[in-house]
Amino acid sequence: MKRKALVLLLVVLAAGLVGAQATEIRVLLANHPYGELLKAAIPEFEQATGIKVNVESLQESQLTTKLTTEFATSSSSVDVFMTRPLQEGKMFYKNGWYAPLAGFDFSDFPKNAMNAANFGTKSYLVPLVTEWEVLYYRKDLLKKAGIRPPTTFVELEAAAKKLNDPATGIVGFASRGKGAAAVTQMSSYVYNYGGLYLDNGKAVFDAKPSMDAIRYYGRMLANYGPQGSTSLSWENIMPLFQAGKVAMWTDASVFYGQIVDPAKSQIPADAVGIATFPAGPKTNTPYIVVSWGMAMAKQSKNKDAALKFLTWATSKDLAKRGMLANITMARSSVWSDPEILAKMNKDLVDSRAFAAKNGFPYDRPYMSAVGEARDRIGEVVIASINSAGAAADLDKKAKDMAAKVNELLEDTGEAGQ
Amino acid sequence: MKRGRTGRIVSSILILLISLLILFPFLWILSSSFKKQVDIIASPPRIFSFAPVVTNYIRVFAEQNFPKYFMNSAVVGAVSVAASLLLGLPAAYSIARFRQQRLSVFILVARLMPGISFLMPWYIIFSRLKLMDTYVALILSHMLIVLPVVVWVMSSYFRSIPIEIDESAMVDGATRQRTLASLILPLSGPGIVTATTLSFIFSWNNFMFSQVLSMEKTRTLPIAVYNFVSYAEVDWGAVMAAAVAIMTPAIILTMIFQKYVVQGLTLGAVKG
Amino acid sequence: MAKTGFIDRHFQILAPLPAAIFVVVMIIFPVAYTLFLSFTNWNLTSGNPLQVVALRSYARVLAEPRFLAAFARTFLFTLLAVGAETVIGTALAVLLRRKFVGKGLVKLLLLLPLVAAPVAIGICWNLFYDPNIGLANHMLKLLGLGTLKWVYDAGTVIPSLAIVDIWQWTPMITLIVMAGLAGLSPEPFESAHVDGATEAQILWRVTLPMVLPTIFTAMVLRSIDGLKTFDIIYAMTGGGPGYASETLNIMAFKYSFEYFRMGQSSVVLVFLFLVVLLFSLGIIRLQRISER
Repeated sequence: MKRKALVLLLVVLAAGLVGAQATEIRVLLANHPYGELLKAAIPEFEQATGIKVNVESLQESQLTTKLTTEFATSSSSVDVFMTRPLQEGKMFYKNGWYAPLAGFDFSDFPKNAMNAANFGTKSYLVPLVTEWEVLYYRKDLLKKAGIRPPTTFVELEAAAKKLNDPATGIVGFASRGKGAAAVTQMSSYVYNYGGLYLDNGKAVFDAKPSMDAIRYYGRMLANYGPQGSTSLSWENIMPLFQAGKVAMWTDASVFYGQIVDPAKSQIPADAVGIATFPAGPKTNTPYIVVSWGMAMAKQSKNKDAALKFLTWATSKDLAKRGMLANITMARSSVWSDPEILAKMNKDLVDSRAFAAKNGFPYDRPYMSAVGEARDRIGEVVIASINSAGAAADLDKKAKDMAAKVNELLEDTGEAGQ
Repeated sequence: MKRGRTGRIVSSILILLISLLILFPFLWILSSSFKKQVDIIASPPRIFSFAPVVTNYIRVFAEQNFPKYFMNSAVVGAVSVAASLLLGLPAAYSIARFRQQRLSVFILVARLMPGISFLMPWYIIFSRLKLMDTYVALILSHMLIVLPVVVWVMSSYFRSIPIEIDESAMVDGATRQRTLASLILPLSGPGIVTATTLSFIFSWNNFMFSQVLSMEKTRTLPIAVYNFVSYAEVDWGAVMAAAVAIMTPAIILTMIFQKYVVQGLTLGAVKG
Repeated sequence: MAKTGFIDRHFQILAPLPAAIFVVVMIIFPVAYTLFLSFTNWNLTSGNPLQVVALRSYARVLAEPRFLAAFARTFLFTLLAVGAETVIGTALAVLLRRKFVGKGLVKLLLLLPLVAAPVAIGICWNLFYDPNIGLANHMLKLLGLGTLKWVYDAGTVIPSLAIVDIWQWTPMITLIVMAGLAGLSPEPFESAHVDGATEAQILWRVTLPMVLPTIFTAMVLRSIDGLKTFDIIYAMTGGGPGYASETLNIMAFKYSFEYFRMGQSSVVLVFLFLVVLLFSLGIIRLQRISER
C-alpha cells in the first residue's frame, strides 16, 4: 500500500515538475469522516507536490451557505470543494460553478454513481462516498420474540407490532419523520411500492403507488414509532437506538459504526444487526446514492494545482484508506479487495451488494429546487404520520404539493425532462 | 425590624432558587463534557452514576487549533469593544445631553438589520478590498453589532446622571470633552462595565459574520463548536466540552475587563 | 470665562460624528443591495441571470400563507419571551440589589447563559426536551404529572423555545437594570424612609418609577434581538415541526440558503427590518411617555 501511494505521489510530482511553481490552493471540505481523513493526509500531498493547501472544513449546511455566498457573488477564491451531487449538483451545474473534468479517469466508478456526476456529455464532479438504505435491528429483541428479520413490508409491520412495548418504553419501529429529512429515507418505501417522486420531470408522488407507500409509512410511525416522530431525524433517533429504546430502524448505512461503539451505545455490538431493506409489494429497489463528491471550482485561478489535488484526493489509494476507516467509498475496486472486505461487517457488505445490483440511484427528487421540493413532500409525510396514514384529505394535500413541485420544475426550466 | 428579617430570608431563598435554575442547564453541559456519549444519552438519565472521562477535552484541544481560535476571538473581541467605546462613549454623551433622539435611533438601526442581509454585500466588498480572512474585516463587522449596544446603554445611563454636575464643571471653565472624560465617565462605572461586558459577550459569541468573513487564519471559537457536528455524527461530549472551553475564557476575560475598566475610570478621576 | 475651543463649540456634531460615519459606511451597501434584490427575481435554481421585476417578488411573498404565519409567529414568540424576560429580569435585579454574601458569585452566574454557545444550548436543550429519553419528561413523570412533547410538537414548540430564550437572555435585562439601580441617587429613598414608607411602597412608588427608563432601554435592546432570534431556533428545530416554529428570520435564511430564492428572501428581510423598526419605535415612544 505504501508503495502504491509512493508511486502515485511520484507521478503527481513528476507532472507537477513540468509546470512547477510554489502555488497555494484553497480547499473546502465538509465535517465528514472522509474530510477528516483528507485533512490528516494533506501534509503528504504538500510535501510531494510543493503545493500549499489551505483547508477549511465546515458543517454541511454551513458549507453550502459559504460556497453559495462566494460563488453567487463571483468573488470566490475556492479551488476544490466537497459537494452533495443530489442536493446541490444540478443548481451548481446550472450556474456554472463546477469546472468540467475532461480527461479524468472515471473507469473505476459504477455507472449508477456517474448519473449524478454527468451533465450532458461531460462530467463535473468525482463521486467520493456512497450510502444506501438498510434496516438496523436488535438481534436480541427479535430473538426473544421469536421473529426473523423482516424481508417484506408485511413482515416489517407484523414485527413492529409484536416488538412494540409501551410498558418497557421500547418502540417497534423508527424512521425519520422530520419533513424534508424524511423524504430521503422514505424514498425506498416509495420505490418498493412501485412509485417515484419525479418521473420525466413531473411530480408523481401523488399517484396511487407513491401514496400507498406514504400511507404505510405514516401508519407505521404513528402506531409503532417514537413520540414526536414528525420532528425526529437521524440525530434524534440514533440516541434512542443507542439507549436501547428502538427495536428496528430504517435509515442510511452510514450510522452503523456509531450504534455498535461501546463508548456511544448501550447496546452490545453483537446485538445489533443490519438487514437488506425489506421488499415492497411491487419490487425491492432501495436507494443507493453518491452522498458526497468532490469538484473543482470553475472560478479557480489555479486549475492545474486544483486538478492535482482532486486527482490525489479521489485516488484509489485514499479510497482504500477510507474503506479501512469504515467509510463506504464510491469506487468499485475497493469493494472487491479481499483485505478490505475482511475488515468490514459482512451484513453491511451484503446489503450494499444487493443495493448495488438492484438499487435506484436517487433518494430525492433530482432537480435544482430540491430544497423546497423536499419541504413540500415533507408536508405530506407529516400529515400522513399525524393521521396514521388515514387522513381523508391526504390525497388532496399530496395533489396540492405535487402541483407546487411542478411549479418549481417549470420555474427552473426542468419540467418534462 | 422583624419584617426586615423575614424579607431577607425570603429573598435569600429566592436568590438560591434562581441561581439553581440558571445553573441547571449549565451544570448539565458541564457534567456532559465529562461523560462518554453512552452516558449522555442514557435512559433513564444518568445524573451522577457515570465514570467521568477527559477524552472529550483531549479531542477538543488536541484535534482542533484551539489556541489559535482563542487568540482570534480574544483579539477581535478586545479591539471591537475598545474601538466601539472610543466611538460610542462621546456619541452617547452627546445624545444624552443634547437630546439627539433621532441620531440615537439611527445608530440603533445598524443593529436592526437582520444579519443575513450583510453576508453577501460584505463578502463582495471585503473580498474586493482583499481584506478577507483578516482581523480588520472581522473587527469592523463586530463593531457594527457592538457599537449600537454601547451607544444605547450608555446614552440611557448618562441621561440618569443629573445635568447639574456637568453645568457646575462648565461654569468652572471645563470644556465639554474635559467634563466627559474627567467627571462623567468616572461616575459611570456601573454603566460602562455593563456595556463593555455585554459588548464583549456579543462579539465573542458571534457566529454568522465570523463564518463568512474568516477563513483558515482568523477562525473564531464559536465556529470551532460546529467542528463536532458532522455529516453522520454529533459528537455530543465534544460539543459540550467545546462549549465549556468557550464559556470559561469569556467569563475570565470579562472579569479582567471589568477590573480594567473600573481602574481606568478611577485613574481618570484622580488625575482630573 | 475661559475660552471655549473648537471642539467644545461644535461638540454636538463632532462627538457623534465618527460613530455615525462608521454606521453609514458599513450599512449603506448592504441596505442598498438588499433593497435592490427585493425588486428582482433572482433565483439561483433557475440558472438565469437576475431581472428587475419591480414588485412581483413582493406580491409572491405576500401571497404565500407561510409568510403571514411566520409574521404572526415572530410577534408571538417575541412578546412571550421578551415579556417574561423583562418581568423576571427586573424582579431579579431588585432582588439582587442589597449586599449579601456571594453577590459577586451570583453576578458571575448571571453571565453563564449569555456566554453559552447557541449550538451547545440547542443540543443540550433538545436532549433535555426529548419526549422519549429526555430529563424534562423524566422529571415530570417523577412528579406524577403527564409528559409533554416540548419542541417536538407543533402545539408546544413556541412556548418551549421561549423557555430556552428566557433562560438565556433574562440575565441581560437583569444586568442592565442592576446598573441602572446602582446609579440611582439615594435621596428619594432616604426621604421615603423618613416618611415611614414600607419596603413594598418604596419599591412600587420610588424604585420602579425611577428605574423605568432603564427597564425600557433593556426592553428595546432585547426586543430587537428577540424579533430576530435565529441561533437557538435554528439549532433546535430548524423552523419545525413542519413550519410551526418558523419566524421571519428563519424563513429568510431558508429562502436564501436552502431554496436559493435570493429575490424573495430579500423581500422577507425588508419586512423583518420594518417590523423590528416599528416595534422599537413603539417601545421608544412608550418610554418617552413614561418619562412624562
